[in-house]
Amino acid sequence: MRRVFRSRAVGAILGLALVVTACGSGDGATDGDPIKVASFNFNESVIVAEIYAQGLEANEYAVERQLNLGNREVVKPALEDGEIDLVPEYTGSVGGFLGVEQTADSQVMWDTARTAFEELGVTLLAFSPAQDKNAYVVTAETAAEFGLTTVSDLQPVAGELIFGGPPECPERPLCLQGLEEVYGLEFAEFVSLDAAGPITIAALEGGEIDVATLFTTQGIIAANGWVSLEDDMGLNPAENLVPAIRMEVVEAYGDDLVTLLDSLSEALTTEDLTDLNRRADIDQEDPALLAAEWLTTNGFIEE
Amino acid sequence: MTVWESVGEFLSDPDTWSGPDSIWVRLGEHIWVSVAAVVIAGVLVLPPAIWLGHIRRGSDIATAVVNIGRAVPSFGILAISFLVLVQMGAGVGEPWAVLVALIALAAPPMFTNTIAGIQAVEPSTVECARGMGLTEREVLAGVELPLSMPLIMEGIRIAFVQVIATATLGALVAWGGLGRYIVDGFARQDMGRLIVGAVLVGLLAIVAEFGFSAIQRVTTPRGLRVAR
Repeated sequence: MRRVFRSRAVGAILGLALVVTACGSGDGATDGDPIKVASFNFNESVIVAEIYAQGLEANEYAVERQLNLGNREVVKPALEDGEIDLVPEYTGSVGGFLGVEQTADSQVMWDTARTAFEELGVTLLAFSPAQDKNAYVVTAETAAEFGLTTVSDLQPVAGELIFGGPPECPERPLCLQGLEEVYGLEFAEFVSLDAAGPITIAALEGGEIDVATLFTTQGIIAANGWVSLEDDMGLNPAENLVPAIRMEVVEAYGDDLVTLLDSLSEALTTEDLTDLNRRADIDQEDPALLAAEWLTTNGFIEE
Repeated sequence: MTVWESVGEFLSDPDTWSGPDSIWVRLGEHIWVSVAAVVIAGVLVLPPAIWLGHIRRGSDIATAVVNIGRAVPSFGILAISFLVLVQMGAGVGEPWAVLVALIALAAPPMFTNTIAGIQAVEPSTVECARGMGLTEREVLAGVELPLSMPLIMEGIRIAFVQVIATATLGALVAWGGLGRYIVDGFARQDMGRLIVGAVLVGLLAIVAEFGFSAIQRVTTPRGLRVAR
């Protein structure tokens, strides 16, 4: 997950800046105050936050947007302090960040993450079936040459392949460490790139690496005919999309708000996410318009 | 783990001393790209700068160039040239984008110092040389260039030290060099790796600085040397 790859120091600095600049706002929410919807700093998060925001607006809630706020190091303290009220989270990543054990079981992952977050005044509403996990991706040619469909298939050939991922990958349990411990994979070489960004994509396209760390919902995988290897031994935890919201706000607005957000989560699928990501990342479409279109198609707003 | 322990751990790791991520490989990459950037920038900007200095024009251009050079962020040039070059078929991990950014960084101080240096030669001295019957070429090679050599070398020295410090950015677009240790150390929260990388870049810049001071002394005409 993109959420896993970050640097705490940058987060701390940005977080501090945010706290300093936003000083004074963020008193307790009451019925009638706008709901402050935030997102992480990548397209998928912005799109889902827009879905929440526009879904709320369609039901006559006042909304304030703080999109593209930053990474989890920035967003989590802002949520705890009430600078923001609602953000699309990922169960496994937020659980890992809160220090709970990660598992591939969506229900258990959500439960443990929610319990930990509630101690900080933030709850997780019902999770969506849509997930966005770490993906280990090869080109169609590599997949055909070595007969690869699952991560286990890499075992006999890993020693001939070059693995590319973010610089922190060798030290991360959900990256190279996990691949070594869970799958016993020892690649010929590791190349430091970026967190599933343009550098990693270019490196896989150009053949400088054989196996890339991307995210399952990235549209580029299908667009380039790449093969996302199935995590058959369950290294990656469940990463269901879930609204993380301040408990004060839930109390102030009550069940109507929860029902609305639950229905949005329920309607969102992994296929939707992948399609929305592709259109935002590759076709450069506006996340707000994509969100509006999704809400219309799914009957949450009228045309 | 204290900072010193993490430095010790990094320095005692065999991968630090041999293999594709060793200090020797990273140091070598860093030096050759820095030297190449300064040499290419020199070939590109020194001839026009020398000519502009000789005809005593272009001080406005020189000022503008150095100001633009200060304002344009190296990281911006690096990111743009990376994306453009990859589109054109360059491989990730190849040094071309880094070279473009470093050439753009090295050019302004060399250009400006060369123009300013030649124009700073006393006009009466140049006239005197012409009066003695020297051709324009002889005036340039025998009078203007030697007399302006300290300032020209100063421009190259500034460029080289800046380039060594800035080549660390290359690691952000998947190239090597000593910046690899800084970027990877930061991402992995491996203080030892980060500190060793930063210190090596600093040492390299200092060595370049002193090396160039020595070259500057040697290339300064005897008559211009200040007694020490």
